[in-house]
Amino acid sequence: MSEPRFTVVRNDEEQYSIWAAGRDLPAGWTAVGFEGTKDECLAHIETVWTDMRPLSVR
Amino acid sequence: MTQADNGWIAPSSFAQERIWIANQLDLNSPVYNVSSPTFFAAGITGEHITASLSAIVARHESMRTHLRIQEGALVQVVSDPQPLDLPELDLRHTSMEESSRIISELAETLAREAIALDRPPLWRAKLIRRTEEKWVLLFVAHHAIFDSQSHVIFQHELKTLTEAAAAGTVAPLVELPIQYADFAAWQRETLTGDEHRKQLAFWTSRLADAPPVLGLPYDRPRDKDTGFAGAEVHFPLPAELLDRATEVGKAAGATPFMVFLSAYAVLLSRLCGTDDVVIGVSSGGRDRAEVASLIGMFVNPVVVRTAISGEQSFGDVLAQVRAELLDSLEHGETPFQHVVDAVAPARDPLAPPIFQAAFNFIPDSGIDYIQLGTTKDDLAMDIAPGTSRLLYRTALFDASTAEAIAARYLRLLTAAVTEPGQRISDLPLLSDSEHALVTQAFNDTAHDTSTVTVVEMLESQALQTPHAVAVMHAGQQLTYAELHARANRLARGLISRGVGPERLVALALPPSLDLVIAAVAVLKAGGSYLPVDLSSPLSRRLSLIDDAGATLTLDSLDFADGNDTPVTDADRLAPLQVRHPAYVIYTSGSTGRPKGVVVEHASAHAYLNWARQAYPGLAGVAHLHSPLTFDLTVTGFLGPLTTGGAVRLAALDEAGTPPSFLKATPGQVPLLDAKNSPTNDLVLGGEALTAEALQAWRSAHPNATVINEYGPTEATVGCIVEVIPPGQDLPAGAVAIGRPIWNMRAYLLDEALTPVPPGVAGELYLAGPQLARGYLNRPGLTAERFLPCPFGEPGQRMYRTGDLARHRADGTIEYLGRADRQLKVSGIRVEPGEIESVLLAQPGVSEAVVIARPGPDGDNDLIAYIVGNEVAAETLAQLIPAYMVPKAIVTVDAIPLTRNGKVDRDKLPAPTVETTVSAPAYVAPATDTQALVAEVFAAILQVDRVSALDDFFALGGNSLRGMRAMAKLRAAVDVDLPVRTLFAHPVVQDLATEIERLITAELDQLSDDEVAALLDAETGQSA
Repeated sequence: MSEPRFTVVRNDEEQYSIWAAGRDLPAGWTAVGFEGTKDECLAHIETVWTDMRPLSVR
Repeated sequence: MTQADNGWIAPSSFAQERIWIANQLDLNSPVYNVSSPTFFAAGITGEHITASLSAIVARHESMRTHLRIQEGALVQVVSDPQPLDLPELDLRHTSMEESSRIISELAETLAREAIALDRPPLWRAKLIRRTEEKWVLLFVAHHAIFDSQSHVIFQHELKTLTEAAAAGTVAPLVELPIQYADFAAWQRETLTGDEHRKQLAFWTSRLADAPPVLGLPYDRPRDKDTGFAGAEVHFPLPAELLDRATEVGKAAGATPFMVFLSAYAVLLSRLCGTDDVVIGVSSGGRDRAEVASLIGMFVNPVVVRTAISGEQSFGDVLAQVRAELLDSLEHGETPFQHVVDAVAPARDPLAPPIFQAAFNFIPDSGIDYIQLGTTKDDLAMDIAPGTSRLLYRTALFDASTAEAIAARYLRLLTAAVTEPGQRISDLPLLSDSEHALVTQAFNDTAHDTSTVTVVEMLESQALQTPHAVAVMHAGQQLTYAELHARANRLARGLISRGVGPERLVALALPPSLDLVIAAVAVLKAGGSYLPVDLSSPLSRRLSLIDDAGATLTLDSLDFADGNDTPVTDADRLAPLQVRHPAYVIYTSGSTGRPKGVVVEHASAHAYLNWARQAYPGLAGVAHLHSPLTFDLTVTGFLGPLTTGGAVRLAALDEAGTPPSFLKATPGQVPLLDAKNSPTNDLVLGGEALTAEALQAWRSAHPNATVINEYGPTEATVGCIVEVIPPGQDLPAGAVAIGRPIWNMRAYLLDEALTPVPPGVAGELYLAGPQLARGYLNRPGLTAERFLPCPFGEPGQRMYRTGDLARHRADGTIEYLGRADRQLKVSGIRVEPGEIESVLLAQPGVSEAVVIARPGPDGDNDLIAYIVGNEVAAETLAQLIPAYMVPKAIVTVDAIPLTRNGKVDRDKLPAPTVETTVSAPAYVAPATDTQALVAEVFAAILQVDRVSALDDFFALGGNSLRGMRAMAKLRAAVDVDLPVRTLFAHPVVQDLATEIERLITAELDQLSDDEVAALLDAETGQSA
């Protein structure tokens, strides 16, 4: 079996997470447009989530 | 042995042998009875029926066969036909309603009466005259001579014969080409040699590494008294579902049987949380034309093993099941008991070997409508047109659980055949209302609160109780006013050195008044504190502080400024908000590198706001004995300071007056004595708790409340609690972790993040205000563990705990262990918590820890450490599978704990020769009975010699072999010897003692004359 694919998602507080590719996203989350294996997605998040404060306290 | 009874001897078939062996488990159970009642058309008389049944008995030798042990082997005894004399019941003068009731009662009574295999015939029949015109024949046969196809043949022949008799013609039944005994003899001759070896090789490779047990969601664990007692859930199988399944099958080149079986496999994989599903199905065993029309026992269980992943579609699973089933049936002639012996999986000797869940598709005969109250398997699905049923072992399952399983099967099957292309993880197990129950009703924790910072909580408390004692240490103390004044001064100094919101200050201070002042000051400055463990090596401390990027490290309070008025946002570098961090606590990860958990004020407030009303003892004196590096201490540190109580910093064993509040780990309970035991609240957290660990303490402190508090640092201290009020009985075993607290929610999910049904193990996910911000400077790790929550408010996250748990029917959560604490020993997955709870249930054992250590042969050995009375490995072997019995059970004075109060696995001593349960030296059997038992064990297990101390199961015995051994012993000593005797006494010398006891007991029941007669017979004298 091929490795499962994930998509990088973000909420209104600009907190990042991952979600199984092809599955409906829970409300309040949007895909940022990056898809890959779990490790690829987490590596991508390492580069884009540079400020881990919730948006409301930035 | 003689042939005194009228008949001749033939070898038994393998199927008969298997049934006979299994039947020994409980000779009084009707579990192997098969009913085949007939309601005749008007005009068929009792005479016609008796004559026809006589003809069937004459045609089929199996109807004249019983079984017997002869020279250590099971044989068939076939008798000559005898004239039939059927008992008759006349119901002509009874009302229709009454006669229907009587008939179904009689049918049930007949079916529930055990048929002894050693006395002919192996069937029972009763003739009933219902009306002047109509007759009924009740018929029940033992499975050893009658399978479900036999039922079809029997009904056909009975119909043909009675109709011919009524018409006065000759029944058009063809001559039988062979008899059952011929088949058995043929089987004994053929199933040997190369072909047999090839078949067995198929099974050993097919079942290599199969999980020893399926892991069904039992309501109760199995024990040695778990017998055949069963019950059944009947449910309709709608015709359109059968049609739809047939269509889906057709499209995939599969039979409806394969479709139903696939749905069952998917259901079991979801209910058992496994990707490796082993199911028993029946092979008819009638492929050869000669046996097609014989009444007899031909069925052989075969195993279908399916690898299931949630990403597959139902169609994928169907294709796999189709291939597996065909392959299995092709090798279906291998007698199942040979497969069991050849595979010899390390497994639970008490569990049915190889498979615990069975599946049957009965399109022709339908299900037996008479409920026997028994079951051969833990769970068995019988699918038939019209009504289907789920059989379950009542010792293991509640009726409600079985009903739910049946309902889930139908729900899943319906969805699967409606859309076979969908992913199996999307197939629904829960109804909409159940989904709402587990995600919403069980999480109905909403509690209105206005969120403030921890600083506001601390300061408003200080205003209320300025002169109360806030903190005590080593004979010194500070009032709230003093504490806040000094903290305000220090906070100003910190601000002037760059401390503010989103800035970290490392606290490198020993337990002291200064430590408390420093922590409060950091919070007041708007910063977050990072506790540092002073006992860890300096290099490690420095790298942690460096990793955290602390603005400052406090090892003294030198920065205190002059002004002790409260610090406000005007003083701070930026206004303090509830989403700013309050503290960062490092936790060790399973992956090695510690990670800092960032907890915001809002989360800390949510927990403290709940805790101060839940734990009244916080308003008194809270004894704080662990370092702040452990998040468990937040309760005893910030709890009192926001409630008006006093924090007492002291080691756990430091003398003082009993506190009102104490929080500890279950491992620390034995250290609690009269000096440090809390008077109000004992909160336990950090590790799994058992009733046994609490028993002594609770009886010594009957007025205290005990709270089992569950919660990872990532969800702020505690978020699921079970309160055990004074005087409340606590059932033995693991203590539940209870229900989520204010505004927190707990979800039990499978790998596809779908809620699991109540009773089924799932991974625990947490959501709500106590969720931490994440891991300090670790965005990837944070994203991996804090996932989008599909259940609550939009945009929320849920934390994946890595813990396994399940819901009780009322929503209470039971903790089942770490998802990743599973150990592998000899390739078998072992959950150490399971072994620990068995150890704790032994008398006098107060603590138990099981770990895996690399053994001399490179493989992992299980090692148990216990406090209290010694436990013999033999005792454990009766309670858990052999592969779970630790290699050594080491008795220690105390379980070593880390500074955080968790078990310090590194400090557990290596087992020594004395503590290792190694194979004991050979001990020769001391008595004749011991020698006999040892000899029988050696023969059955094919080992050279057996010591008086050897355990049957440890030597590789299993239930089938056990039954064979007991049959041999029974034949040798001529005393009634139930098979469960072996389970209770698996060691040679113990079993020998038990046998001697049984013989004596039997002799005691005889009269003196009978004893004398026996003795005479023994010595060859005649009276």
